[in-house]
Parts: sequence; structure tokens; C-alpha cells
Amino acid sequence: MMTDEPVAETPSPDQAAATTPAAEPGIEERAVTVTEWMADRGIFIFTALLILAAAVFIDGFASLTNITDVFNRAAPIGIVAVGMTFVVISANYLDLSVVAQVATSAVVLIAVSNEYGFVLAILAAIVIALVYGFVNGVAVGVFKANAVIVTLSTTFIGLGLLRWVSGGSIYFGPPDGPVRVFGSTRLGPIPLSMIVLVAMTLLLSFVLNRTTFGFLVKAYGSNREATRLTGANTAMVVIGAFVITALAAMVGGFVLAAFSNTAVSSMSTGFDFRALAAIIVGGTSVFGGRGSVMRTLLGVVFVSVLTNIMVLSGLGFGMQQMAIGLLIVAAVSVDALARKAGTS
Amino acid sequence: MSQTTSEPTTEPEPQQGLALGAAPGDLLQRLRTAVARRTEGRAVALLTLVVITVAIVEPRALTSYPVTLGRIALIGLVALGLTAVILMGELDLGVASTLAVSGVVMASFESLTVGIIVALLGGLLIGVVNAFFVVIVGINSFIATLGMLFFLRGAAFVISGEQPVRVANADTALQFGRPLVGPLTPRILIFIVVFIALHVFVTRMRVGREFYAVGGNREAAYDAGIPVVRRVFTGFMISGFVSALAGVINAMERTAADPTAGGTVLLASFAAAIIGGVLLNGGRGSIVGALLGAATLGILQVSLTLSGVQVDVQNIIIGSVLLLAVISDPASVRRVMARASTFLSERSKPQPAG
Amino acid sequence: MNTRRSRFVGLLAAGALILAACGSDDDATDDTGDDAAAGEDAADDAEIDEDDVVGDPDGEFEVFALLPQGNDQPYGSTYLPPMQEMAAELGISLTITNSQYDADTQASECEVAVAAAPDLIILWPAVGDTVRPCLSAAQDAGIPVTITNSDVNPEDEDLTRGYSGPDTYGQGVASAELMCEAADGAEIGIIVVNGLTGNSTAINRREGFVDTVEAQCPNVTILAEQPGDWNADDSQIAASEMLTAVGPDNVQGIYAADDTMAAGAIDALVARGLDPAEMIITSIGNTFLGNPLVIDGSLNGTVFQSSSWDGENAVTLAHEILTEDPSERVVRFMPDVKVTADNATDADVAPEW
Repeated sequence: MMTDEPVAETPSPDQAAATTPAAEPGIEERAVTVTEWMADRGIFIFTALLILAAAVFIDGFASLTNITDVFNRAAPIGIVAVGMTFVVISANYLDLSVVAQVATSAVVLIAVSNEYGFVLAILAAIVIALVYGFVNGVAVGVFKANAVIVTLSTTFIGLGLLRWVSGGSIYFGPPDGPVRVFGSTRLGPIPLSMIVLVAMTLLLSFVLNRTTFGFLVKAYGSNREATRLTGANTAMVVIGAFVITALAAMVGGFVLAAFSNTAVSSMSTGFDFRALAAIIVGGTSVFGGRGSVMRTLLGVVFVSVLTNIMVLSGLGFGMQQMAIGLLIVAAVSVDALARKAGTS
Repeated sequence: MSQTTSEPTTEPEPQQGLALGAAPGDLLQRLRTAVARRTEGRAVALLTLVVITVAIVEPRALTSYPVTLGRIALIGLVALGLTAVILMGELDLGVASTLAVSGVVMASFESLTVGIIVALLGGLLIGVVNAFFVVIVGINSFIATLGMLFFLRGAAFVISGEQPVRVANADTALQFGRPLVGPLTPRILIFIVVFIALHVFVTRMRVGREFYAVGGNREAAYDAGIPVVRRVFTGFMISGFVSALAGVINAMERTAADPTAGGTVLLASFAAAIIGGVLLNGGRGSIVGALLGAATLGILQVSLTLSGVQVDVQNIIIGSVLLLAVISDPASVRRVMARASTFLSERSKPQPAG
Repeated sequence: MNTRRSRFVGLLAAGALILAACGSDDDATDDTGDDAAAGEDAADDAEIDEDDVVGDPDGEFEVFALLPQGNDQPYGSTYLPPMQEMAAELGISLTITNSQYDADTQASECEVAVAAAPDLIILWPAVGDTVRPCLSAAQDAGIPVTITNSDVNPEDEDLTRGYSGPDTYGQGVASAELMCEAADGAEIGIIVVNGLTGNSTAINRREGFVDTVEAQCPNVTILAEQPGDWNADDSQIAASEMLTAVGPDNVQGIYAADDTMAAGAIDALVARGLDPAEMIITSIGNTFLGNPLVIDGSLNGTVFQSSSWDGENAVTLAHEILTEDPSERVVRFMPDVKVTADNATDADVAPEW
């Protein structure tokens, strides 16, 4: 397994609901140290500091247009990431097929609504998203196949089908069509895509924290066997996690397509690992069981702000990638070191 | 994920390594172990099926075997290194980026020899850094190497100035792509050497066999006195070195290093390792399995290409084969049967879960 | 046991139904696609597969076309059908590969092609610097190679029999000339949206543009540049952020490496309440998306790239090499037609992709 610490093998049922790391056995009783407190809120503090520093040192960062840009950057990937958080928390690594799902949803939204209308396009996209969610979920939850490989296969199949069928064409809607309206509507200065992101986050946060299903996802992620023994239907938990991811990826595809009123099958390249990066930077554990949708939102905002700052500073693509790589390792290292300091 | 399959797998893990390494004695016993543990069984079946189909439909993929071998070596080399890491229950997502950055580093030097040495040392260094974060700092290898995936790709762009870098001595490099022994190019020969070396390492050598123990049950490995930290370092260094080697070979064969190289490598090498029965949960699988997986994929790709099947349809076929391979695990099929009956009986009872 | 088994079978059947549903969903999108070419395209491919399996009885020549894109890109999907039609007309049996811009995959496909010993190989380099080994392997095997879409490096030209396609560097030049003309000597600042980082076409177009601006109109200053990855979303955000970085008041023009990205950059202006017609914006492509923008005045000019010209000429050049065997290397550049408001509605620059 991918555990870094051997102790992870000793599960305790309490971990299901506990916010302590899955790697630590037993119930948390010791006092919370300052470093731990920092680590727990690390992403929040980092984001705040970064925004503060950028606002002071970078001209134009604090302008309304730029904040809109940050959220335009964050919205599609953020919506995908908050959904994928469920798969990560259920200890299934990630859903690689979001790349295919986002592209399919975007192309279907524009191509079908051009031909058959907006409503039918959304219905078709929902059906496709459910198929993705069920196929991934059944293979992982019922057949107990590895999620990385299952979603890798469905990516191959899904992108292959999309390109074979759509012919790889670039689709764009009429300039006054419903997709365009959806993409350019603003409430005051706030673009609709950002409202969708916030609404999705609140909704999924509610599902994760306030429903039995959400509780089971966390419980399953931290201890599968124990969750199964409680009599919960673990297959449905996994299927549910993948269906939520698929529906979120569908909405992400809508937002992506609506933003530019164009859709092409290659537009979601890299969404898989970029979404995962945001989830991890937010502090959700890839061991499963620990994490939250809100943290993912923060992670997405953090990565978007950082990318925005680098573009504003004129840094090239290579430097941007290097910084994101460093950031991932740094964020998680601080977390790991703080926990080590806390336990010793 | 350790919890996933903890019931049957964790305990017998170390014995698997030992069984493979034991002198050829109790053949029946070994065969039974192998079948029971089904590491390569499905891969052999799948490969046989693919070879027979290809022999009938597109025999050119087999008659022009140097080409097919070249494709297998292209996919398989990285998969071999990756297997060393996966056996220990870790993961290296940075292999494709390592491949790209080492090619670019190699091509940046005037002298081929210096470039190759620096690039390969760089691969080892990347492995050391990965292992440092995983076992010393204590972060999950999935995350540490995800960071590497971004960082090294960015580094490849920065070093190369976002453009392909031509190898200084293009004529020597050009010779490298030519057949060396019979129809075999240096790439294929290196692949064979790496395969044999790694196979012997994990089956015949104590250090290598301990990889299975580390991946199977790490706590038990600690208790048994296995230097787990050193083994993890070794594993990541193997993966880093082999990826760098693949990058150097690619740059030599192409006479130029492309910072975008390896776009299809990460997922293809994963697929090869998984078809070969290497469990992402560690402790199971073999180098032979990774080879079988790479061979299956390679033959499939070459024959589909020769038949003029467009790449989208190729992807649909390969994805379906992969999906079938991963859900046709006999144990999971048994589990599904059990699950199906409980599922149906549970449906009749009131369920709290949504 | 029996009931258990039947339940299992039932579950499998359900799974099969789901998969079938998956297939039919996507078929549905096919019918609805506004591009009828997609369907024809698939049909064409099917024909070609058949030919190959049977052993191409009606194909006079067997040709491998090693391309880096196909149905995964808008350009490739409109390049293929004219290419296949022309091949059928000239009695050429085509086997087409798509390496998805992975140089190593293309090199391996090249080995496959050489091993299949066709009459000729048409190569569209995934990465120009990496094709020399492929060319020399083909030469050793006595297989002529022609290049399509993006030419090889000058030192590799002697290994090829000809080139047809756009001059990707020249497209950058032409777009820069449009920019220089529109600037008309005024001191202006512009921002640049490039293609996918590391991509050969992106590199060549950028070089052509930057070189020409420096040489012909030093009054145009490039204030910032970022990749837009050939798509409108990334381009819109990158353009908007660059405007913030350099100050919108300092920007009087935008160059985008293709029309899709130009459309994104124009959206960025509109979202800020700026009028794109007041800016000098040039790009490359004259696509279905770009052409209307030229007509309505938001895009000052673009450079026509005809995918059908490109696909057809790849095959006609190959046919010429096979039948006439010219001694010199044949170079056939796609005319770099500049499209501005003056000629945007002309029939000969009707957009194709």
C-alpha cells in the first residue's frame, strides 16, 4: 500500500469521524500544539498571506477585473475538484476520467443545444455523467478493481468515443444562444461561474458533512473493513462517490464551455492531476477518510491566485509548473513535519 | 488503501518473493502458488489471445518483429522501473517528467558522454529526492511524485527554453538508432538487459526480494529487521534511473530532446504494469508481469496501427481491454457474486444509507 | 448457488446494458453534431481499414501518412476527409496514424511504416527536430518521404522529396505584417497569446511574428506574452491577466497565434468593457470562429490556413513524386492569404474549420 508510515495498518473505528490523520492510531487525546494548529489551518494562512502580499506588491492584483480573472481560472477546475474530493476521501486516489467527462460534457452542451436545444443538451449530459459514474463506481466498488486503472480505462474509452463521434471539431454556439447567456451572465460584478462554484461547494460540503452518505464516504475511506462490518452498503458508497464526481465534472464542463462559448475535445487536458493537486494542497489526505470540500475550494483558490500572480509577473509556463510542483511538496511537507513534531 | 485487500494479501506476501526466488524444486507447489496469486496468469492469457488474434488478422505485426520489439521497449522500459516502486506499495507519478527532463539535460551538453552521465546521475538524484520526501519527511509517494510531475516538467521547459534541444553530436546519436545486433537496436538490447537485471534483482537477490516484504506488510518488514528506509531509497533510485535512461535513449534515437516528451508514457507504463498483474497496493506482481503487460500493449498498438485503425478507435479498444483485464480478477469476480447476493438481499431490508 | 449465479448473470447483463447505453449516447451526439464531416470521416476510415485487410486490391499505390493529429483536433478533422477523397481519386491506398504530438510515438509509427514497405511515406512531423532518424531509415529502405503541414529543418531537407503545406513561420510573418500595416507607424504596445508551449507550430509562428515585428515595425512593442494552449478559455484568462499586468491603457493591440485564441482574447476585452474594434488584433487561421470576427471588425486581420488545401496537396504531391519522379525537391507552399474586412466575404477565403 501507499502508506508512508507502517502504523497506518492499525485502524480504529474512531477514525471514521475523527479529524486526526488516519495514520495515527487511537483517539486523539493530547493537546494541540501550535505547529499542529498552524498545519491544520496551513492552507488558509498561506492563502491569506499570499493574497495580502500580492495585493501590496503587485500592481493591479487587487482590482476587480483581476479578482474576476482569478475566479474564472478557479471555477471550472474548482467545480471538478470539489466533486473529485469524494473519490479521494473514499481512499480511491483520483478519478482520471474527469478529463474525458469534462470534454464530453462541454461538447455535448454546445453541439446538442445547437441542434436540439438547451434542455435536451443538459439531459444528454446528465445521462452521460451518470453512465460514467456508474461504470467507474461499479468497477471500483463492486469488482474491487483499482480506481486508477479503471478510470484510466474509461478515459481511453471515453475520449476515444468522443473524438470518434464528434470528429474532433471545435463547436461554438450562436453569440446570443443560451450557452452564451449562461457564460456571460453576472450578478453585479460576480460572474455566474463563480456562483456555481460556491453553490457546488456548499451543496457538496453539506452532503459530505451532514448526510449519512457523506459520513459513510469518510468512514469507508479511513477503514473499509470496519465500515463494511457495520452493515453499510460499501459498494453504493463508492458508486455514490464516483457519481458525484461525474456530476461535478459535468457542471465543470458546462462552465468551461459557457465561459468561451466554444467546446473542443482537447480543452480539458490536465484536469485530472490539476484537480488532484488542488485537493491535496487543500489538505485532503490521499489515504482517504480525512478532508473536506471547503479545503478543496481553498486549495483551488490558492493555486489560482499563485498562477495569476506568476502570469502578472510575466513568468513563463515552465516556471509556473515548477512553482506548482514545489508548492504541492511544500504544503504537504509542512503538514507532515508538523504532525511528526506533534507526535514526538 | 492498505485496508482494501488486507485480508488475504498482506500475510503471504513475503513468501511470494521467496517462492519465486527459490531454486527450481517443487514445481507443482510453485505453480499452485502462482495460479493462486494470479500475478501473471491473466497477463499470459491476455497476451496469448492478442498474439493469436494478431497472427490471424495482422501478421505483419509479428513478421516485422524488430518494430514491435521497439514499441514494447518504448512502453516497457519505464514500466520496469515503475514496477520496482509499485512492488513496495509506493508510486512514482514523475516518471514521464523525469524522462523529459533527463533528455533535455543530456542534449544540453556538448559532449554526449558527459551529457549521458549527468542525465543518468540526475535520474538517480530524482529518485533520492522522491525517497527522501516519502520516508524521511513522511509524505505519501502519490503526492511527493505528483509534485515532481509538475516540477520536473516545468524544469524541462525552463532548461530547454521551451523548445526541442538538438543533440550536439547528431551523427553519433543517429548511429544509436540503428540495429546493433542482428535487427535489434540499442534500445531493445538495453531493454533486455534492464529486464534481466531487474528480474534477477527482485527474484534472486536478497535486497530485491525484500521489496515484496516492504510492499506486502511494512510493519512486518520492520519487525523482520529489513532496512525499509534503504529499500525505499533503492526502489525510487531504480525508477528514477530507468526513467532517465529512457529519456536518454529517446533523445539519442531522435537526435533531439523534446521538453514535451513522454506525454503518453506515464499512463501507458501504468497500464503495462497493471495488465501484468502488478498490484498498486504493493507486494505482488513481478518484472515478468510488467514485460507481459508491455508486450500485450505493444503488439496491440503496432497491429492496430498497421491495420490503419485510427487512434481514437485504438484508444477505445485498448481502454476496453484494460477495463476487462482489471475487473476480470478471479477473486473480485467471486467477490462480486457474493456482493450481488448480499446486495439483492439487503435491498429487501430497510437501508439507512442513501 | 443457482440463484446466486443467476443474480450474477443478471448483474452482468445490467452492466452490458449500461455499456450499450454509453455507446448509444455518444451516437446521439454524432447525429446532432453541426459538422457532417464527422460521419463521412468515420465512413471513410472504415473503407480504408477494409482495403488494408483485404490487401488493397484497387489501390495502385500504398502510402503511409504519419500525422500528429487527426480527429482529436479541429484542424486535423477537416484535413483528413479531403486527403482521403483525393487519395481515393488518385488510386492511393492510405494508412493513417496519429501520434498526438508525441515524438517518440511517431518515431515508433515510422518504424512500423518502414517495416510495412509502402510506396511512399507522408510525414507531418510531431516535433521537427526529431524526425531525422525516421527520414534516414526510410531512405535506407528506399522509401521516398514527402512532408506535409510543417516542413523539416533545412539540414534534413535532402532526405525528403518534397513539402506541401503552410509556411508556419511565414504565417507568423504575415500576421505581423497585418499588425504593422494597421499600426501604421504609431508607437503601440501589444500583448501576445502563443500556442501550446513546446509545440512546433506554436514556436514557428511566434518566431515569424516576433522577427518580423522587430524588422518591419519596431514601433510595435511586445509588452507581455503567455501561452493560450490553442483554446479560447485559457486564452481569455491569459489575455485578461496580461492586460492587468501591463495596464489596459498601455495596450493597443493583441496578436494571437490562432483564431480560437483570438476569440478568447476578444472575449476578455468585452468582459472588461473594452471595444475590440478599437484595438489592433491579428491572428492566424480564418476559421469558422475567426472569419465572422473579421467581418464584424473585432479582428483586424487573420491569415487563411486551408485545411482542405493542406490535406489534398499532401496526397497530390505524393502522387506526383510516385508517378513523375522529379529530380529536385518539390516545395509547394499554401498561399498565405491575408484576410481582412476587405476580402473576408470572398468565396475563395470561405472558412473551412
